[in-house]
Amino acid sequence: MFKVDPLANPEPLIKRVYAYVAYRVGDGPDAEDLTSETFERALRYKKSYDSAKGEPIAWLIGIARRCIEGRPPTLELTGEQMETPDHGHLEDDAIRRLSVSGAVSRLEARDRELIALRYGADLTARQIAEVQGAKTNAIEVALHRALGRLRTHLEDDSPPVRKSQAGR
Amino acid sequence: MRSWRRNPESGLEAELRSNRPEPSRELVDRLEMRVRTHGRTSRSGSFRVAFAGALAAGVLTALASVGGLGYAATGASQAVEKAKRVVHVHTVTTIHNSAASDQYKKPKAKCRKGTHRVKGVCKRVKKARGVRFRRPPFTG
Repeated sequence: MFKVDPLANPEPLIKRVYAYVAYRVGDGPDAEDLTSETFERALRYKKSYDSAKGEPIAWLIGIARRCIEGRPPTLELTGEQMETPDHGHLEDDAIRRLSVSGAVSRLEARDRELIALRYGADLTARQIAEVQGAKTNAIEVALHRALGRLRTHLEDDSPPVRKSQAGR
Repeated sequence: MRSWRRNPESGLEAELRSNRPEPSRELVDRLEMRVRTHGRTSRSGSFRVAFAGALAAGVLTALASVGGLGYAATGASQAVEKAKRVVHVHTVTTIHNSAASDQYKKPKAKCRKGTHRVKGVCKRVKKARGVRFRRPPFTG
């Protein structure tokens, strides 16, 4: 029987897996290590991939989740570990990125997982439901609530409006 | 003011997507190279399997041309026959044609008077006609 190679086009897969891992454990060397480990395992168990069960990205995310769970708990991202944006020195994009990452890091593990799957790995609600063994509707509701909590965190973090900007 | 505040739902989602953490170019290149190298190795593995298959087919063809396959098939069928004989379970055989069965068999019905059994069927048999004796001639 003809077998599909799940890693036929690796670049977009690497980016999506990295984004997922980075949303879970934080951007940096740890995320890079976990992404590498994920792909090493994927290469080792490539024959176990069944295209009937789902897309390659869902399979890879499953491996990445197990890699993260297998790591020591200190690696998990906490709000204190995240860099606090210094509004005086950074560009707007960088500030926004840090604010979003910081807010994501302060979410609960389940919310962070959902955000990472939806916006990091770019999975659909249906794919997330398959990965987590839940119903699509339940995932959509949980995502909506997670976004609400994230919004609250972001609003708490928002810098006070500068006088120069206020005067314009 | 931030974009997600103007349009909270889609704005925040867009923000999350656009600010998605990205891997370094070095990591992407390294992993891509690793994946492609592995793919090449596995392809060479499949080439080896194909080569072994082709070699086996060649050997079989050569054997078939000199009758080796028929010889092997005969050997195999003989082995199967032997195995069948060994494995076969024998049942108890009853001998019906024996002295005892002949002696103690159910008696056949007697034929009526004037009839005889001919090939299992009672048939009327004509009396054998005797030779008529004549008186000896008077000789005086």
